[in-house]
Amino acid sequence: MKTLEELKAFYDTELVAELRQLEAKRKQVMINSLIAVGVVAVLGLVIAGAVMAQGGPPFILIFFLVGGAIVGGIAFSFISKGYKAEFKQRIISKIITFLEPGLRYSPQGLIDRQTFKTSTLFKHSIDRYRGEDRVDGTIGQTQVAFSEIHAEYKTSSGTGKDRKTEWHTIFKGLFFIADFNKHFKGQTVVLPDTAEKLFGGFGKMLQSWNMSRDDLIKLEDVEFEREFVVYGSDQIEARYILSTSLMQRILEFKRKTGTKIYLSFTGSNVYVALPMTKNLFEPKVMSSIMDFEPILDYARDLSLAVAIVEDLNLNTRIWSKE
Amino acid sequence: MPGLIIAAVIVGIFLIIPIGMYNSLVGKRNQVHNIFGTMDAMLKKRWDLIPNLVSTVKGYADHERTLFENITEARSKAMSGQMSENQKVGLENSFMQLLGVVRATVENYPDLKASDNFMHLQRTLNELEEQISAARRAFNAAVTDYNNAVQMFPTNIIAGMFGFTIKELFQIEADEREKPQVGGLL
Repeated sequence: MKTLEELKAFYDTELVAELRQLEAKRKQVMINSLIAVGVVAVLGLVIAGAVMAQGGPPFILIFFLVGGAIVGGIAFSFISKGYKAEFKQRIISKIITFLEPGLRYSPQGLIDRQTFKTSTLFKHSIDRYRGEDRVDGTIGQTQVAFSEIHAEYKTSSGTGKDRKTEWHTIFKGLFFIADFNKHFKGQTVVLPDTAEKLFGGFGKMLQSWNMSRDDLIKLEDVEFEREFVVYGSDQIEARYILSTSLMQRILEFKRKTGTKIYLSFTGSNVYVALPMTKNLFEPKVMSSIMDFEPILDYARDLSLAVAIVEDLNLNTRIWSKE
Repeated sequence: MPGLIIAAVIVGIFLIIPIGMYNSLVGKRNQVHNIFGTMDAMLKKRWDLIPNLVSTVKGYADHERTLFENITEARSKAMSGQMSENQKVGLENSFMQLLGVVRATVENYPDLKASDNFMHLQRTLNELEEQISAARRAFNAAVTDYNNAVQMFPTNIIAGMFGFTIKELFQIEADEREKPQVGGLL
């Protein structure tokens, strides 16, 4: 990663001119959106007024209000779509390659469903799988790929007309894969610990009975054990991967980012899932883009992924795997 | 008749619980043996690398005689197969220190440090050290698990009856503990 000053210089020399062009487009999008919203509002009011004049009940207004908001929202996302795509292509893509020359950005790309499943971090069957902002390439010596992922399952209740479908999130956030720096054959999974935090020793017993996972791995780092639960197919291999220093590094990373962390080591790769509500690499539409602040924000989004490689020491290759 | 059934159930429970406890103790003891076996195999692998290491280093630093002699002696001791588990642990610990000396010595021979053969050896040794350290930790975890079962109520009753005794943990020497995990390359 580059320093703040370097990014600032890059912003001044390379980005400002392009941002100015895009800012004009953004303003046009705002004007078009306002017009669209105005049209929707007037139309809605006229129809609502007509219905009420025909003797419709007053609460029909609420119906029109909600309907108008939905139509307005759709119109807004439709109008701003082209601008957002252009912004990602012209600005975000540049920022990413500037900060990490080994990386390529594809705004519409995502980590595919099969890869997500291979990690076995989330065992629930998936009904809807979406994502965007895929980044590929190398950081230092380490091959990486990551994107935003939103995986959901649905539940249905009732029958016929009353049938209701609800969507539940399995995972939403940053999903990251990298080539791990050691060879291994089996699988090791590190999950945030909930049972042990709530029930202590009894929780640990419950965890060892978890049928959907491999053997429980009890590690000697007390702090790590408090935060995470580890399952693995091989007691020794799990400890070979989770060296005492890596456990400390994972803890440090968790402290720094303040999010939950899911890690899986399988097929020579490490998979990291960071749940988050924030939409990463998202162009601003409502407010000015001429400031340095949003640019800095994109750099922060990227630094999260870079931090995985650096904090987990994935670039250190002193073992037999080069 | 119902009295008989109740009696049978009670007797059954009194049989099943001790059997379960006994089996879990055996399972835990076998886990310890199993991991010790794996660790032993890794240690042997490392000893097998030593002649290779010695000949590589000799090519560049022939006059470090005492060092080679010490290493070779340690190896022949380890390979003799006549050591108790405790002696093995002691030898492992002193050998770790010897490897530290090799690391320091190699610093004086830049050609050696840069040679392909040596780089390859260094990687293989690092790999093995990391695996051995993992195996030690797995061994200690398995022993702790087993010792807990031997000493805690109610499994300690069964353990006492069938002669399950507590096992020793692998001690990691203080100076080794201070060594950085991945630093201090050979």
